Amino acid sequence: MSTTPPAVPLTLSGAHPAIRDKMPRPSRPPVWLVIGAVLVIIAVSVPLVYLGVRVSDLSLEAVWTIVQRPRVVALVLNTIGLASSVTLTTVVLGTAIAALLTRLRLPARRALLLASALPLAVPSYLASYGWLVVIPSLSGFFPSYLLLSAVTIPYVILPVAAALRGTSADGEAIARTLGLGPIAAFRSVTWPQVRPAAIAGGLLVFLYTLSDFGLVAMLRYQTLTWGVQQAYSASFDRSQAAVLAMLLVVIAVVVVSAERTARGQVNTTQATHLPLEDARIPLRLAALALIGAPVILGVVIPLVGLGVRLAQAETLRALDYPGLLAATGSTIGVAVAAAGVALLFALPLAALAARYSSRFVGVLESLGYLSNALPGIVVGLSLVFFSLAVVPSLYQTVIMLVFAYAVLFMPKALGTARSSIEAVSPELVGVARTLGATAFGAWWRVTVPLALPGLGIGALLVAITTMKELPATLLLSPIGFDTLATELWSKTVASEFGAAAPYAAVLVLVAAIPAMILSGVRSVAKEEM
Amino acid sequence: MTTLTLKNVGLSYGSRPALRDVSLVVPSGSLVAILGPSGCGKTSLLMALAGLVPIDAGTITVGSRELSSPGHRIPPEHRGIGWVPQAASLFPHLSVGDNIGFGLPRGTRRNDRVEELAQLVGLAGFGGRSPGQLSGGQAQRVALARALAPSPDVLLLDEPFGALDSVLRHSLARDVARILREQDTTAILVTHDREEALDLADFVAVMDQGRIVQVGTPREIYESPATPWVASFVGDIVELTGVWRDDALDCQQCGAKELCAPGATRLGCSGHVECALGNVAATSQVGEPTDGETVRVVLRPEWLVPASSGIPATVKTVAYAGHDALVEFELPEQGDLVRARIAAPFLPAVGQSFHLALRHPALVFPAIAPEPALA
Repeated sequence: MSTTPPAVPLTLSGAHPAIRDKMPRPSRPPVWLVIGAVLVIIAVSVPLVYLGVRVSDLSLEAVWTIVQRPRVVALVLNTIGLASSVTLTTVVLGTAIAALLTRLRLPARRALLLASALPLAVPSYLASYGWLVVIPSLSGFFPSYLLLSAVTIPYVILPVAAALRGTSADGEAIARTLGLGPIAAFRSVTWPQVRPAAIAGGLLVFLYTLSDFGLVAMLRYQTLTWGVQQAYSASFDRSQAAVLAMLLVVIAVVVVSAERTARGQVNTTQATHLPLEDARIPLRLAALALIGAPVILGVVIPLVGLGVRLAQAETLRALDYPGLLAATGSTIGVAVAAAGVALLFALPLAALAARYSSRFVGVLESLGYLSNALPGIVVGLSLVFFSLAVVPSLYQTVIMLVFAYAVLFMPKALGTARSSIEAVSPELVGVARTLGATAFGAWWRVTVPLALPGLGIGALLVAITTMKELPATLLLSPIGFDTLATELWSKTVASEFGAAAPYAAVLVLVAAIPAMILSGVRSVAKEEM
Repeated sequence: MTTLTLKNVGLSYGSRPALRDVSLVVPSGSLVAILGPSGCGKTSLLMALAGLVPIDAGTITVGSRELSSPGHRIPPEHRGIGWVPQAASLFPHLSVGDNIGFGLPRGTRRNDRVEELAQLVGLAGFGGRSPGQLSGGQAQRVALARALAPSPDVLLLDEPFGALDSVLRHSLARDVARILREQDTTAILVTHDREEALDLADFVAVMDQGRIVQVGTPREIYESPATPWVASFVGDIVELTGVWRDDALDCQQCGAKELCAPGATRLGCSGHVECALGNVAATSQVGEPTDGETVRVVLRPEWLVPASSGIPATVKTVAYAGHDALVEFELPEQGDLVRARIAAPFLPAVGQSFHLALRHPALVFPAIAPEPALA
């Protein structure tokens, strides 16, 4: 998840010798680009807008009656309680782990840092499936809390570790010479500098937990996403589902705006690096245990559980090859389509945001990131309503499903597309123009070839995320259209752990492994996955 | 003919003016340096010339073709103006040869012309390399060849040597100036390095705050600056206050008499000033001061020389620079301090006393009048 960068002030000729690109940005973007970007924003706003329309159809009393129901109140409290405790835990422990990873002399530090990012590659419901294989009776708040914390903690570790590497250790050293202990020095000097990163990471964790469906449903802990799914599938009155979905949106919006005000700004200084701290053996072991815990809980145990189950003879005997093949094909098919559509959606916005700065462009770009805050189940539900009411011919079609993916995951392509287009110096484009290339020629011969790797990575991110998506897929996929994720889910909730194993294994192969490879690519912001 | 003419060009970004009433003629085949401090509008001027930004006022023409005027702009690809940017900005995804051939029509892209240009800039045989394998100086040479390839009418060089170390910078700059002269290319060189501008250019235009303050040959700019600001921007100065006298000095009393043609005021002194250096020959740079008016007196440190007669002065400090030294002298009576540039190896020691003479008329400016350039 990214947020809008601050508008860069116009830099004219040589205000600072270090500023290489002295090209002033043309202030007025071409009309066709603006129209394209506005159309994209309209398209991605459809789910939210239509959900609003659906809820506003109800009378105020009707909404109030639903909200007051004890079940609904319980769902809201469960959701907020789970999301808050997971967020608090990951922010505290994630910051601690990041500090240990960047400051302490540990064996194989680089490998440890990579390992601590691994839980990101495992979808939450896959982790819970792996645990259920090991302990079938697992259920309720505590397992959900523990597992979600383990799976989401990289969202805090990675940005905080990056921020710590960017902060000067001098301040802390000076605080030590002024009489502060190591923890007091960290708290008073370094924490204010990494706080924005920790809070932004905490926001990602909160939103992830808020929108998580598969894990809590498998572990039978009743949150709003579970409630939406229940209300949708179990009753003919879908108003309750709409109201619950709206409650999810309201919580997300409140938290996102709270984060914006709490984050604050940091003036970064030139980073200097002090030598790593040496620590006694017991402390080092404790550090390794803390760093390793989320990886073991979120990755190792689930994968071992999966592997053991997969290797059992009865699993292999019962293997449904055609079904597995079909689900794999569907998964890859929709993922590729979603990646293409999402990239297509992202391009006009990215080109606009990369080359032009104005308040209007800033607003458009922020709106492009809107669906980052939308739980998948909300988008799924809203598009069900939308297709039934507006375009019935698209109800339960792959087209609607791919559209939902594109809406949900376009921000992932937007960030990398924007930065890769921005990385192409406008000076190069200017040079191409003076050498006789037209505006389009310069775009085609210079900007596109240089931005291509970034655009490709963005599309790949969308594809990987799409393959792992569960709740929107459950609501929108046509009858008889199964993906790896839906098959894994339906077989797990039916306690057919053996039948689910092959789907889980293939999902790991097609989604998690490319994600791990991608995380080794330098230019990818790991938080994007 | 490819004479480039700017007439009253104005350009602003929002409410911030970047160019104000800029007029300049660059004769066909000449090299004109635009010299100014950071932020003076040099780069904006280049962008306007290249057609990368529109102008708000005035016209830009090459020969008889109008390239830019308010509301009208021939796009960059049709202007016939080449551009060598500051950081070379080679296309990183193309080889050196493809970079040079970028602006050539498709059929000829990979053949003789590319090799000919590579040879011209001294990089024959580099065509297959990637830009990442080049040194900073080589990259600038490729950028020059790339800009020359489509035979532009005018070439713009935006501080092309700024990123290089001083030795390389000097030899490359001379090389580039030679190539431009050989090709008979009309060129504009933007720089904030005064030595580069004075050394390479046929004409120098000094810019400040979006305006052109003075245009002239390098000697005119250095020896007869239009304002004290220009004087201090293009070289070291010594400043004193004095009183203007309308009558030319009796040449026998003048420190510059040995250098001056007999009987005439070859150095252009139109009067003299009374100042801490005594009565010295002077030329007024702005307007006609009245007799007895208090004026600003500006000289160059190298115009002051130890002599057998003149004003007695005592050495206070010596700033040694190898080939010469800036020696600070204290003058009698008011205790004014002046600096003289004295060539090595015969340098004075602190505390020694000398007579100082002036071997060039002092430049005289109005005492408190606002500088027109800063209006």
